Amino acid sequence: MGLNAQKRLRSTISYTILLFWSFILLFPMYWVAITSFKNAIDMSIKATYLPFIDFQPGLHAWRYLFVDRLTWFLDPFMNSVIVAFVSSTIALVIGSSAGYALARFDYGGRNNSIVLGFMSQRMFPGALFILAFLVMFRELGLLDTRLSLIIVYSSGAIPFIVWVMRDFFEGLPVEIEESAMIDGANRLGVLFRIAMPLAAPGLVAVFVLSLIGAWNEYLVALTLTFREAITIPLFMTMQVSQTGYTEWWNMSAISLVSVIPVVAAGMALEKYITGGLTFGALKG
Amino acid sequence: MATEPRIYPSKRFRFEIKDNLWKWIFLLPAVAIILILLAVPVVWTLYAAFTDLHLYRIGDFETEFVGLANFQKLMSNRSFWRTARNTVVFMLGVVPAQLIIGLTVALALNNITRGQKLFRTWFLMPLMVSPVVVSFIVGRMLFQEDIGPINDILRNLGFEGVPWLTSPTWAMVALMAIDVWQWSSFMILMLLAALQGVPPDLHEAARVDGANQLQSFWRITVPLIMPITMTALLIRIIDAFKVVEIIMVLTGGGPGQATESVTLAIYRTGVKGGDLAFGSSQAYFLLIVLMIFGGAYLVLTRRAMGKD
Repeated sequence: MGLNAQKRLRSTISYTILLFWSFILLFPMYWVAITSFKNAIDMSIKATYLPFIDFQPGLHAWRYLFVDRLTWFLDPFMNSVIVAFVSSTIALVIGSSAGYALARFDYGGRNNSIVLGFMSQRMFPGALFILAFLVMFRELGLLDTRLSLIIVYSSGAIPFIVWVMRDFFEGLPVEIEESAMIDGANRLGVLFRIAMPLAAPGLVAVFVLSLIGAWNEYLVALTLTFREAITIPLFMTMQVSQTGYTEWWNMSAISLVSVIPVVAAGMALEKYITGGLTFGALKG
Repeated sequence: MATEPRIYPSKRFRFEIKDNLWKWIFLLPAVAIILILLAVPVVWTLYAAFTDLHLYRIGDFETEFVGLANFQKLMSNRSFWRTARNTVVFMLGVVPAQLIIGLTVALALNNITRGQKLFRTWFLMPLMVSPVVVSFIVGRMLFQEDIGPINDILRNLGFEGVPWLTSPTWAMVALMAIDVWQWSSFMILMLLAALQGVPPDLHEAARVDGANQLQSFWRITVPLIMPITMTALLIRIIDAFKVVEIIMVLTGGGPGQATESVTLAIYRTGVKGGDLAFGSSQAYFLLIVLMIFGGAYLVLTRRAMGKD
């Protein structure tokens, strides 16, 4: 077999593998998408795969969601939006300031230990926290509030942000900051006017990753909220436990509404997100 | 940590005075938040594990120290060992599968040029999807026994439908499938990054020296991607030990207790049942196992790679 034929064979095998795995990843999402256009009858007799061939798609689930019962899911949706954005913003400001400080200042030669201290949080199982949080927020009278989730989620995202951003700031040239300070700028000005804009790609990546983390979180939300402050994942599971019967088409439509924004944001920022996700292990 | 800290002291003294203030203003909020929300729960849970603290009795009764009673109860609690066994089985099922899929797909991805970015972007998708959506909506629909598409396809291929959620074994398989679906992408992206760090000249040189592709893979690629692979495996193993959300919403730990994980047991004991003391001792058991395992893993892999 010549070298060229060998190369062609290898690339054919590669594309086959990639297309196969892409299909495995696509199929569940495809199923959710078509289910949101199905009627009850399309799901009661046999599995139906193709719209217009196997079943007549209809918009009733979407009408139900956006017209008939908008307020029903708007509350948890807004809870998710507020909790995710506020906690990620707080975590970004606090975490990246600390990351900057650890990149630029000397803390008695212990900078690396401080960063490791932040990261030790990753080892701890979430189960270790939920019991303490439950008692803590109960004593504070903060159960079932968005504030409780905002506090927990921002503290959960900070270590990761400190870690990634410290590395990012270390990679930026220090000369620009020095000349700005000679021109009379103080550190705060340097951080917000010079360092942060230069670190924008890193900031976007960690912000979106903590946004996704908060948006998808379930265990803490389940422990701390139950009615007023529930987020979308909790809302979805509550629909079934209450009725015992599942309106799959409505659930599928809600799933898509909750999944599409974060998946789109993540995929649009692919380069930065992959960098942020793999960062930890690559450095190790 | 591989890199030494790069410290850039300001050249001018008057900046240093001001910087001495800023350096604490920038760092302390993060430290304070982590201390309060990390250290306090960790210490409090340790305290609770040695008491008879109960959620519905806080304030009504004096909390008493009970010594090691909770841990003794834990050791003889068969239901807890069942969940520990389930968790290990789950981990042993998903992590090797993710490694094999991750390596296969990453090698394929590293082998092509056209469309690489497109595939990479698409493979990111499952990592962005909420575990609740994946297991609750997708899993429950796909694994439906009567009219779910997986059983439907199996029947069309001439097999029998599988009792996915009512058989203890198959329920575990379904959960593993969901985790593999969601987290293989992590292995793919990590291993791809590792493969791209292998200099192509090395393979070229090996080829010139008469090595075949298999030799070149085992002798050059594998040793070079080993460090990242080991770290990625450790992250996946730890995460697999903490599994809870997909179980909560797909099977609820059932049928019976067949798929209940340690974390689900902690939630049930401590949050649902209100037995904070016993739940805390379970949580500490999990933490200690993770720390011993993680520490041993790091020491062993470092030693193994150092010897090579």
